[in-house]
Amino acid sequence: MYTVYMPSQENLTDEELIAIIRQNDKELYSEIIRRYQTKLSHYLRKFIRRDDELEDVLQDVFIKAYRNLNDFNVHKRFSPWIYRIAHNEALNMIKKYRKEVVSIDESEWEIIDQNIDLGKSVDASLTKTVVEQALTAMKDKYREPIILYFFEQKSYEEISDILRIPRNTVGTLIMRGKKIIKESLGKTLYGRQT
Amino acid sequence: MEDKHSTQNIEDKIMSEIKSGNVKLRSKYIFWVEKWGMGSALALTILGAVLLFCLLLFYLRETDNLWYLSFGSRGVFAFLESFPYTLVVVFIALIFIAGFILKKTGALYAKPFSYVSLVLVLSIMALGTVFTFVHVAEIIERQAFGGKPHGMILRPFFGQGMGKRMWGIAGRVIALDKNSATIQTPQEIIVIDIENLNKKNIPQLEQGLFVAAVGERTKDVFKAFEIKVIPEGKMPMIDRGIERRFGPPRIKMLMNSEARVCVKGCAQNHNTPEICFGECLEKYLPIE
Repeated sequence: MYTVYMPSQENLTDEELIAIIRQNDKELYSEIIRRYQTKLSHYLRKFIRRDDELEDVLQDVFIKAYRNLNDFNVHKRFSPWIYRIAHNEALNMIKKYRKEVVSIDESEWEIIDQNIDLGKSVDASLTKTVVEQALTAMKDKYREPIILYFFEQKSYEEISDILRIPRNTVGTLIMRGKKIIKESLGKTLYGRQT
Repeated sequence: MEDKHSTQNIEDKIMSEIKSGNVKLRSKYIFWVEKWGMGSALALTILGAVLLFCLLLFYLRETDNLWYLSFGSRGVFAFLESFPYTLVVVFIALIFIAGFILKKTGALYAKPFSYVSLVLVLSIMALGTVFTFVHVAEIIERQAFGGKPHGMILRPFFGQGMGKRMWGIAGRVIALDKNSATIQTPQEIIVIDIENLNKKNIPQLEQGLFVAAVGERTKDVFKAFEIKVIPEGKMPMIDRGIERRFGPPRIKMLMNSEARVCVKGCAQNHNTPEICFGECLEKYLPIE
């Protein structure tokens, strides 16, 4: 008597799950939704602030991803693929309606504070507001890699896959984005160019 | 609590849409067709660019275009006039289209676009050069002037090589006198007025020689500022154009007969080459 080991859906990788879903076990897609819902909500929150709009976009992302599952290459990672869909949906939303003010929560603020040398500030809350304003005002091409790198903790390679730009370009854009933030801080807080 | 509820809510909504069949997986064949379509469009565009580059090299090598530069500043207008703009413009457009398709497919996004573009352009040029050496362009030229419908599409690319020019002319001398030379070009028989040329600069002209001149066209006469004898076989495309227009055996026969005087006189009376050849050949060289 042999026992066939069948890993539970929690133990399967995203790519294995997708392969099974494509073979007609669509129920398993709920596991993908569970795995990515919070992450994608967090990411989309940087572009969309209203809860109802965010929910609509998130729903569109999962539906679009499901429809196009056959286009996904299971030999590549699923995460950048679904983030790419979310990214495109967020951009469509911004183009259609408006650009939202980027809001940074406490944990994100810590990451920014640790990774970008903001200098000693008199007022931490003012600094945070200026960083938020700088992030909102900066061009999308700098803002997107910064959000993905600092707030979504994505690697350069993943960002390259999500934004479809070369890895070296990701590094350059993040560096320039950081410079823009520091310059905004310099101008607003100290009245000078940093 | 509320967040968890919302999470569950989205999951339920999407799963109910999927289970009810309102949201379905797109067939993998659709994606295959899309990928094959894009791939084929890219391959065709690149092939088109390669062929055009091959034609461009062929054109520069085999027509009078670059020869006009040997006349110095006097030849610039003729060079610009005979430059193959259509070829160059369509070639550049195809490169842009290939770049656009490459970008659209997202296949090479991990490499810098400048690098991809450079590799693309260099590969097209290298392949185009190989095609030129294996005489692909000659085959295209034959097709273009072979009277077949698919070949006719390519004719506009040769238009500037075979067309009439305002500032330059190249062709075979079929008649000579003191102040003029009558030449055949792929388009016409025309008299070149060499009266005002500096006598020291006039080369030894003979019937049957190939010449190129820069100057100005005035109605039916081309007033030359400078004329040069071109070594045999240096402008093969022009030569073939003349052969297609007038036929090689007839040219040789004409050069040795009184018929050339007839053709010259006929051309000076503003008749078309067809009429002149028809009349003069029938009169002096009847087909037995």
